[in-house]
Amino acid sequence: MKLDVYERLMAAQINRRNMLKGAASAGAIAAGASTGLGGLMGSAFAQSSLRAEMLNIPGVGVGSPTDSDWQKVGALTLEATKKNVAEGEFADVELTFLGLNNQNLHNFLFRGFLKPWEAYTGAKINWIDLAQADYNARLQQSIATSTVDFDIIEMGAPFEGDVLGKGLASEMPEWVREQIDMDDYVDYLKAPVGTWGGKTYRVSIDGDCHNFNYRTDYFADADLAAAWAAEGNEGPWEVPNTWQKVQAVTKFLKGKKIGRFDTNGYLDPLKGWGGFGFYFLGSRATAYAKHPDDADWLFDAETMKPRVNNPAWVRAIQDVLDVLDAQPADQLNADPGTTGFQQFLAGTGSMLSWWGDIGSNAKTSDSSVVGDDVAFSILPGSDDVYNAKTGQWDTLASGPNYAPNMAYIGWGIYVMARVDSDAKKQKAAWSAAAHVGGKDISLWTAAYPSGFQPYRTSHFNIPEWVGSGYDEGFISNYLASQLDSYNHPNAAIEPRIPGIFQYYSVAEDELAKIYAARSDAQEGADRIAAAWDKITDQIGRESQIELYKASLGN
Amino acid sequence: MAGPGQSEGDQLHTVVSDYMSPRRILAGRALLWFAAAVLFVTAVIQALYTWDRIAFGFENWRPVLYAFIFWGTALCVAQVLVRGEQGKRVLFVLPAVLFVVSMVVFPILFGLYISFTDWNLASPTGPKFNGLDNFRQMSGDPFYWNALKNMVYYVLAVSVEYAIAFGLALLLNAQVRARKFFRVAFLLPLMLSPVAVSWMVGKSMLEVRFGPLANLARFLGWENPSFFSSPEIARLSIMVMDAWTFIPFMMVMILAGLQALPKEVLEAAKIDGAKPWQGFWQVTFPLMLPVSITAIVIRIIFKLKLADIIINVTSGGPGGATDSVTSFIFREYRDRSNVGYGTLLAMIYLVLIIIFVTSLLKVASRWTRQFNQEGAG
Repeated sequence: MKLDVYERLMAAQINRRNMLKGAASAGAIAAGASTGLGGLMGSAFAQSSLRAEMLNIPGVGVGSPTDSDWQKVGALTLEATKKNVAEGEFADVELTFLGLNNQNLHNFLFRGFLKPWEAYTGAKINWIDLAQADYNARLQQSIATSTVDFDIIEMGAPFEGDVLGKGLASEMPEWVREQIDMDDYVDYLKAPVGTWGGKTYRVSIDGDCHNFNYRTDYFADADLAAAWAAEGNEGPWEVPNTWQKVQAVTKFLKGKKIGRFDTNGYLDPLKGWGGFGFYFLGSRATAYAKHPDDADWLFDAETMKPRVNNPAWVRAIQDVLDVLDAQPADQLNADPGTTGFQQFLAGTGSMLSWWGDIGSNAKTSDSSVVGDDVAFSILPGSDDVYNAKTGQWDTLASGPNYAPNMAYIGWGIYVMARVDSDAKKQKAAWSAAAHVGGKDISLWTAAYPSGFQPYRTSHFNIPEWVGSGYDEGFISNYLASQLDSYNHPNAAIEPRIPGIFQYYSVAEDELAKIYAARSDAQEGADRIAAAWDKITDQIGRESQIELYKASLGN
Repeated sequence: MAGPGQSEGDQLHTVVSDYMSPRRILAGRALLWFAAAVLFVTAVIQALYTWDRIAFGFENWRPVLYAFIFWGTALCVAQVLVRGEQGKRVLFVLPAVLFVVSMVVFPILFGLYISFTDWNLASPTGPKFNGLDNFRQMSGDPFYWNALKNMVYYVLAVSVEYAIAFGLALLLNAQVRARKFFRVAFLLPLMLSPVAVSWMVGKSMLEVRFGPLANLARFLGWENPSFFSSPEIARLSIMVMDAWTFIPFMMVMILAGLQALPKEVLEAAKIDGAKPWQGFWQVTFPLMLPVSITAIVIRIIFKLKLADIIINVTSGGPGGATDSVTSFIFREYRDRSNVGYGTLLAMIYLVLIIIFVTSLLKVASRWTRQFNQEGAG
């Protein structure tokens, strides 16, 4: 769980009565389990004493965990390591671990988790801490200059093309797969994610997706409902479940009031964010561009021809342009951080795509004025979806096309190939990675501040959360929006090819120009496609095609 | 006392005998050649190993660096052994020359080489020489030309900053109450990091909904204040923030110049009946020209490096309206790992800066001379 989410949750910790109410409503939630969560509830009684004991370190509501707590968790979950490693087996082994040192916990946490592991195995770990902003450049430089000076790395899946594609990582041994119980991963984190050429390289420690956050008070407001009907809009006043409806609602809300406040509809971040801003256009586009019969949606895997200028993406860009006037003032200077934390949380706007943590912050943040008026779902769908193979827009018999955007695919732990020449060091490195990404320890990282979201099926066992003190209704809704995205059969998973953030970054520059000048969406998209082609040619088209196919598991 | 081998011209400066035996000279030359051989062999082995021509080599280039340091030290020692007193004199400069060569000249040459390569860090093939392709790409890159155009606006803004700085310096040079307090207070913005200014002013005080400056703008009748949404206003906002940080720098330089002015000249002008404006325009301003030009040139050099505020506040937006060349190169380099092209852009920018600043200094010096001659006439 992200640190800020945890702190907000703790700040708004439920009282005993609410907890009892929450427990009483467990049956109702299980009955309405369209999310698949209900089926997991029975397993609450099988919760191991170890997991229960671990979840009480330090205990929900007694403040943020400290290094001693992380060490306790590390020690408590060491049993899995002991099955594969003898005491003192890595006595003379030194490993270097490169990870993040930003406002979340990442490396700080790993240090605590691995201290008991070091004491038991005798290995010593040296740490390289990087701010997130420096991470990409440091990694790229290490790769390009053949100066990989670390044995273990915390890395996001989008960089797998850069690292796995160049043979820089060590293949996961079979005993690690068993130790960490990889079958427990949510569907989308299973192969091909974390694999390359049929081989597995990644210990997942996080899951990522964009979900849809909306204000319930807007859609329960009688005045807005009356105005919606009076203006002759189609259908009832309700939470939009397609982008077509999101557009209609956003245009409708311009100039309206809720109470004494001005209303705004969907919030688009219009300023770049080091490449990460492109994910937000992606969240608008996936329902149009990701056809259930086609794994590709950003490039053609056969040719690396960009799809970013096909009718689906152009429609998404045009959608943004169409509601520019309905956005808050200064929106051109709003990056995703602004839309999430300074606008949505602070009461501006009624709909937002973001990673899973924003919605839960909105419920409990001290600076939030939206209070309890927030709920979550998977990203909206579309009445029709573009079929890149036929060049036609298809209307699916099953209804709207949904395609949750698995933006960034989450963090993982990877072992570098440079340890492979030393069997002892290799085993030590993989043992450390397996310890940090173990099944039990991961429940703790999901529940406590860590920088990581839930990513295993076992993380969605609501009673375990409730048992550690969380509000049941809230945590169910929070987790459901993520689980439904993770396990969606038409989830849009970005290509894990080298330089993927270069594509995103250059697209951000062009999109900023389109939005600022309100220029033609098709022409702008064509410029993005041309720039993407240039990057592909620069990196090497043939190798990119090969690596793209490899990333798709072909 | 002059040594037997000493030339006459050096007699006055020589305090010790400086006879050098042939063995000593031989030892010096041998040391130098040995060190050079070590450096050469180490570098060749490592180069061949890096290019996969031989199977053995070092793990990295660090041993070559050590060999270079050894060679540099040997070179210095050899100067003394071979050239005696003359060699000792060379030692005052030689280490600095070696340091500059290794830390400035070599990187510039390496940078020049990189700027003529196609090198994307994500590419599996590494740098590839591509001739003038990067230059051609630059010629047709609308983002780069847009950034250069913005730099013209940013540099022009220095003239306004100069006027304000001069005015403030005149005020602080006058006999005003709490002069010392104001001198420190006016300097405070200069003490702030531009990154802090970006967040404090750009992202907090100018924040549209709750920022105090936005509220003030609303109070003054601007219904929907927005400081970064339209290209012109966004550029102006960046200029104002940058000016706020650096006007004190110009002000303090001009103030120092004002305080160093000979009071007799000003008093003589007053006695001759010069009015305050005439005194300023005919006496103070011309006398201050050398200081002013120095302040302006240094400020322009600072301005040409403008990036931090832009990166933090607007990321170059909206639509490139606030982009500076440095902030664009930053994106090209860091976000896109486009090392070859980014380096070429930086090199071209360096050349442009050198040409611009040299011309500026030349024009300024001619103008100063002309102004002074007219004044004298």
